[in-house]
Amino acid sequence: MKTTAVFSAFVSLLSFASAAGASSKKSSASSDSSSTSTTLPATFKPPQVFKNANLVHVISLEKNYVKENINVLVENIDKAPQDEYFVPFTADQMSRLGGVEVKDRKDASAGPFVAEPVEFDQESDIQYLRIRLPKPLAPGAQQTLGISYYLLKAYKPLPASIKQEEQQYLTFSFSAYCSSAYTTTKQKTEVKFPSGNIPDYTKLPGSGDVSEFPQKQGSKLIYGPFDEKPAGAAQPVSVRFEFTKPVTHVSRLERDIEVSHWGGNVAFEERYTLYHRGANLSSLFNRVKWQQAQYYHPTTFALKELKFPLRVGSVDAYYTDVIGNVSTSHFRTNKREALLEIKPRYPVFGGWKFPFTIGWNSDAKNFLRKTATGGFVLNVPFLEGPRQPEGVEYEQVQLRVILPEGAENVRYHTSIPPSSITEAGIEIHKTFLDTLGRTALVIRARNLVDDFRDRDLVVAYDYPLLASLRKPLVVFASAVAVFVVAWIVGNVELKFDSPKK
Amino acid sequence: MDSSLHEVWQAAAGSPFVPTVGKGSQFLVAFVLLLIGFSLSGAFALSMPYLCHSNVIQLVLLTMRFPDRSLVNLPILAVPASLALAVGVVYMFCAVGVYV
Repeated sequence: MKTTAVFSAFVSLLSFASAAGASSKKSSASSDSSSTSTTLPATFKPPQVFKNANLVHVISLEKNYVKENINVLVENIDKAPQDEYFVPFTADQMSRLGGVEVKDRKDASAGPFVAEPVEFDQESDIQYLRIRLPKPLAPGAQQTLGISYYLLKAYKPLPASIKQEEQQYLTFSFSAYCSSAYTTTKQKTEVKFPSGNIPDYTKLPGSGDVSEFPQKQGSKLIYGPFDEKPAGAAQPVSVRFEFTKPVTHVSRLERDIEVSHWGGNVAFEERYTLYHRGANLSSLFNRVKWQQAQYYHPTTFALKELKFPLRVGSVDAYYTDVIGNVSTSHFRTNKREALLEIKPRYPVFGGWKFPFTIGWNSDAKNFLRKTATGGFVLNVPFLEGPRQPEGVEYEQVQLRVILPEGAENVRYHTSIPPSSITEAGIEIHKTFLDTLGRTALVIRARNLVDDFRDRDLVVAYDYPLLASLRKPLVVFASAVAVFVVAWIVGNVELKFDSPKK
Repeated sequence: MDSSLHEVWQAAAGSPFVPTVGKGSQFLVAFVLLLIGFSLSGAFALSMPYLCHSNVIQLVLLTMRFPDRSLVNLPILAVPASLALAVGVVYMFCAVGVYV
């Protein structure tokens, strides 16, 4: 309120202080838009040049997204060296796939492995991810690949609606044979669960000395080992397991980072559109039961709290939603931590939505440095969302780094997997005291999870002295103009001349 | 993407960005500058004969030897006033929490 009042006073007093509002305009200068997909003919089939000598597929259902690890020993069975390995996914999986990272399990220094989706036929149900090996694999040679990725929106609650004090169960369907574009000699699939309570799972006939798959080991199910399977082999199975935690899904996160050289500040603002994808309530929400359950049975599948560990030095935190300030929050900031704990206005149950905004400030010295060449370099976390035991998944992320007005020669680097970044470019953002508008680096990413929290984004830019003086110069020129006009008007003779005698 | 930027960041470890006026003193600096700016603007306005007919003020201004209606008013009053307002406005924006 105070801020608004002071502004209105200034804007009315000094008509030259133009506040163009927080409108942003897309500029045509989209410098380095990164498109990672490759187009291949519609009849494309991966050439049978590899064999999977041994494959271990680990599916982790411990969080509210699925993390899959494929550790595979690949062997080149062709006569020529090969450097392209394809991993098939269904079109539906491809749309929910994110955070693909590939490394050599035995040699951490081997790299980088580039993983990119292949575009060959939009109608085809099978889409491929192409992995480029850093060095072509010689005929007969072997390499151990560790392919990890995340699947979002992976679960369905069963039953789909439950009472508010009941346990939530989720189902997940997958193939017991790891889907591969190549013949697999030996493989097994391990499925990890958040608890040992797995009431239903598909049983398969065993092989060798195992009579039936899967084998249950604590909170783990193991399908396999299986003998040789041809390329494209699939064995659909599904599991149903207890998950008495919220299935938090952020359909859109808009994160703004605004750098101010005049104020020596970096301002953060995050706007979340949050959903609970778990079981719906089978009857109306009962506040009395909810309040009682807080004492005798505090575990619930409703989302009741989010914890944001921010960087040390964060101050001035705020937490609002469409109604206004939400008072149910704590912000503990000291030399060791800056923890923002927020509670939604209401416990969020399955099918419910809670959009909210949080923001905070930090001194520029924590994130911004001056380079020897006279430029500036900014290092900020790409994601700083909540840290929850059950995890958080982000479908669409828009990160906007708003640099000072007149910043130029913007370069960036992020340790987020490149295949998750859909678009990056420079836009113009206009706000208070701007004339031309600020340079804004906008990066759009999809299908990220909270494991990528604290992956950094480094932005380097140049900021000439004249550009930094633009704001006071504009105010100065406007004020001088007002004075000159006043002086001219003040000198206009309005009196009638007395007649000369 | 430019992968050499991490080295740039590491190399600049010794020179964190420090603003000319720290967050703690922004309000004071802005307030003083705006006070000077508005005072000078006031003096400029009062020195305009058609804007001010009060004999007392005319007398005060004469005593202070402000040149009446003169073009000299612009460089000696208006320009310093504008400079003080210009920097003062920018810092006042920052001081009230809108870091421009």
